[in-house]
Amino acid sequence: MNGNQNGFSVSVEQLTKRFGDFTAVDAITFSARRGEIFGFLGPNGAGKSTTIRILCGLLAPTSGRASVAGLDVATQPEEIRQRIGYMSQKFSLYNDLRVKENLEFFGGLYSVPPSEMPGRMAWAVRMAGLEGRERSLTGSLPVGWKQRLALGCAVLHRPPIVFLDEPTSGVDPVSRRQFWELIQEMAREGITVFVTTHYMDEAEYCNRLVLIDRGRIVAMGTPTELKSRSMKGELLLVECEPLGPALAALRALPGVAEAGIFGRAMHALVADSRAAAVPVRNALLAKGLDVRRVEPIRPSLEDVFVALTVARRPEGPALPQVRA
Amino acid sequence: MKFLQALRRIHRLLVKEFIQTLRDPHTRFTLFGPPIIQMLVFGYAATLEVNHVHFALLDHDNTQESREYIARLTGSPYFTLDKVAQRPAELRAGIDRGTTLLAVQIDSGFSQDLRGGKGAKVQVIVDSANSNTALVGLGYVNQISAKYAQDYQRDHMLRANPQMAAMLPQVNLADRPWFNENFTSRWYFVPGVIGNLMLVMVMILTAFAVVREREIGTLEQVMVTPIRRWEFILGKTLPFFLIGMFDAALISLVGTFWFGVPFRGSVAVLAVGTMIFLLSSLGVGLFISTISATQQQAMVSAFFFIMPATTLSGFGTPISSMPPFFQKLTYLDPLRYYMIILRSVYLKGVGFRVLWPELVSMAVFSVTLLSVSILRFHKSID
Amino acid sequence: MSLRRIFAIFRKEVIQISRDVRSLLIIFAIPLILLFIYGYGVNLDVKHVPLCVYDRDGSQQSQDLLKGFQSTEYFNIVHLARDYPDVVRHIDSGSCSVAVVIPPRFAEDLRNAGSTTVQAILDASDSNSASIGLGYAQSIVAAYSSRVQVDWAAAHGAQPPALPLDVRARTWFNEDLESMANIVPGVVALVMAVVGAFLTSLTIAREWERGTMEQLISTPVGALEIQIGKLIPYFVIGMADTALCAGASVGWFQVPFRGSWLVMFGSSALFLTVVLSLGYFISVVTKSQLAASQMALLATFLPTFLLSGFIFPIDQMPVVVQVITRVLPARYFVEILRSVFLKGTPVAMIASQLTALGIIAFVLVALATRAFHKRLE
Repeated sequence: MNGNQNGFSVSVEQLTKRFGDFTAVDAITFSARRGEIFGFLGPNGAGKSTTIRILCGLLAPTSGRASVAGLDVATQPEEIRQRIGYMSQKFSLYNDLRVKENLEFFGGLYSVPPSEMPGRMAWAVRMAGLEGRERSLTGSLPVGWKQRLALGCAVLHRPPIVFLDEPTSGVDPVSRRQFWELIQEMAREGITVFVTTHYMDEAEYCNRLVLIDRGRIVAMGTPTELKSRSMKGELLLVECEPLGPALAALRALPGVAEAGIFGRAMHALVADSRAAAVPVRNALLAKGLDVRRVEPIRPSLEDVFVALTVARRPEGPALPQVRA
Repeated sequence: MKFLQALRRIHRLLVKEFIQTLRDPHTRFTLFGPPIIQMLVFGYAATLEVNHVHFALLDHDNTQESREYIARLTGSPYFTLDKVAQRPAELRAGIDRGTTLLAVQIDSGFSQDLRGGKGAKVQVIVDSANSNTALVGLGYVNQISAKYAQDYQRDHMLRANPQMAAMLPQVNLADRPWFNENFTSRWYFVPGVIGNLMLVMVMILTAFAVVREREIGTLEQVMVTPIRRWEFILGKTLPFFLIGMFDAALISLVGTFWFGVPFRGSVAVLAVGTMIFLLSSLGVGLFISTISATQQQAMVSAFFFIMPATTLSGFGTPISSMPPFFQKLTYLDPLRYYMIILRSVYLKGVGFRVLWPELVSMAVFSVTLLSVSILRFHKSID
Repeated sequence: MSLRRIFAIFRKEVIQISRDVRSLLIIFAIPLILLFIYGYGVNLDVKHVPLCVYDRDGSQQSQDLLKGFQSTEYFNIVHLARDYPDVVRHIDSGSCSVAVVIPPRFAEDLRNAGSTTVQAILDASDSNSASIGLGYAQSIVAAYSSRVQVDWAAAHGAQPPALPLDVRARTWFNEDLESMANIVPGVVALVMAVVGAFLTSLTIAREWERGTMEQLISTPVGALEIQIGKLIPYFVIGMADTALCAGASVGWFQVPFRGSWLVMFGSSALFLTVVLSLGYFISVVTKSQLAASQMALLATFLPTFLLSGFIFPIDQMPVVVQVITRVLPARYFVEILRSVFLKGTPVAMIASQLTALGIIAFVLVALATRAFHKRLE
């Protein structure tokens, strides 16, 4: 499996990982192209981190194959490590080291040539917004800065592929957005960015996505493709009080395939949303409920995901989702 | 009614504490590991008795008298002849290498000097790198030599001047070892092991129990419930007090019935002494829990307290051998008093009348320590 | 193997150590504190034994005998008993360890019957001190007995029986038979073992617990590079500590140093390699700081204290135990230290101990390297 696989940076075929009886990753197949922002989306425990760790050589696959930068993860993990950058879920920097000491450390580990170090470090500091704070202890930095610093440490050696495992968990929304701008900039420079996240809204930033649930791929494609292909109907936004009885009433309506709570409102899956708007409103009013709004909306990735996973769950609809 | 509720809460706490202690591999190890290890080591391995003196011999004289003297040495159960040397260098080699403890060299005029009434010379070289064994070994040589000399003298006198021989004055020393007739060092160590273990186990278990909650965060959780401070403290310390008493009893039984250490005193005195001592162990454990944020820190603090505490307690080496400054320091060590009580109860068979100073000192120490620790603990819960 | 990567790991470790106050304390304060406590506290010298005297004769002769006990530093007369129950009380309470009882017609018996017996009651609950104290008492009484015989012979115009035997004892290496000289080198070994293993036992486990290990193993750095980079700082610290303890032993405790400093530091380097690798190995295997430090302390302190020969002589232990001590690095190191401090013997004499240490060091380093996997499971 040597040599680049048709221009794919990351190539995975029937990859499976079992921990004892538990199958964390179940025969997944996908590929990411060079320069793509490839997203791996799914709830906690879906197998995202496990997959990324296999790709980085941190875990050995139980069966199946995977190659990164043309190298096989099972037999050439050390060579892979030279060519990638990895940001672990806890973006583990050394809290008792100063900012510049962390950068120097990782620069040393990746053997960044000494002549390039000052330039790369300056770049990383600028990118992270830490000018003037090079001597601060990393532990004293707010989370958003730590996160960017961790990214800087991971790419000091200009790897062609970068793996980011939940890079924005626990970070405030403004910092999250800034971080994604950074990622997009890297992608523009030709770096393949492989990201896992459980924030559905972030998935919109990705070029291509894989939706994963319980170790299996549920859907794959660009965000637009997913939103248009995956839904088996169209969506209505229904704001109605009280929520409990309203949901029950909505579900009971004929023509409503599924309904769930999203925030303070509900989404209902119908065949034709424009046509169904008025009848649904009337039906709810007839039940004595206080209806505020009923209007068609375009599905978000979250809707897509819920639809795809709920459909697969044997126990029926999951509990009402609260949007993150 | 309120009291009943309090009792019930304490009961719940006790149960939880027992379950957690048994489930956590670290504390489980502390429960069983140290007792077994120490009993094995101090029961079987550690000994200050010198029962095997390896020695080398060089006899330049080779007469009946010198051979008789040598026979006295080799005939003793304490001595093992390792090497009969031909040259002095060989004697030295054994000592340098550390394989022989003593080298005995009999000069060539030995029997001549004996008969002539002059002191016959015997040279003994002792490897005193281990001074204790050297002392004891040398003592044996001196004893055997003195006996040989005495016997020779008597024979000589009897032959030369029988009447005078009968009237020659002599002062003998009769030794009356009390409490431990055979000088068995196991009888010295094994009762001490009880003290050691009580301190180590109770202290570590108590410290861990509290710090574990603080580390995980359940401490806050528990303090929000209707539980009172004193109930919580009791719930944290009582289980280990009970475990301590149980273990003390168990080890006592093993010490007596397996290792054969005699128990001549009263169980009541031992029980009271143990209880008071356990209180101070609990106090130290609580104190450590107030200065440690993680179990890791607690363990380090505990360890670095245990080391001086056991050294200065008179457990392995007697307090009377320590320099005066250190002897005074030992008064601050509760284990010191408990050691005295243990050995006195086991071997001397004395009771409250003799041991009350130790019991009272320990009690004062325990109460003070426990109070300080509880006060600190009180505040730390806030 | 990249020197650059090793240096990166090394530098990071040094920075972290220098910023961790608690570690620094352990590194510098604890060894010295332990040295002092064990150096002074563990003392097998039997001197100033508290003595109780019950003189039932009260004659000139009994006074003469007692002078022998008074004038020696081995005994300390703390009480003159009035009656037998008084003696019992003092022995029971522990205020006296030995009681010398002189019988009522001591002087008279000596004059007439020719022999008399003095009793030494010993509190043998401390069996070691009791047996040594007995030895002292016997020699004091024997010396007195000889003097009596000589005087008697002179008084009766007979030739005083000369001492048939003249046993000249030369104590080698530790002329004053001070237990400190033999214990302090052992304490150096104990301190190095405990501190060394303890410090390294935390290093890998801590990174696992904090999550930085995952990041670390995702980089190109190799297992051996990590091991070398992490252990060098602790090695340097360990050698510094050894120098500190050795210096204190000679300078403060006045333990003689007769061997070569080269041998001392060479063997210390070997021993340090052993204990550091042991701690590292434990850290790799347990991945939990708490378990690692517990195991490290247990695996070094107890065996070194109890079975290395530093207090309890190995050749007096049961054979089974003696065999077990053959796998303990501390046993060999204590022998080497004693040789270097007290004996000053040529290196050839300790060649077997050095070899043994070398073998153990090699095994542990190999174990530690093989145990570390750059994988998460």
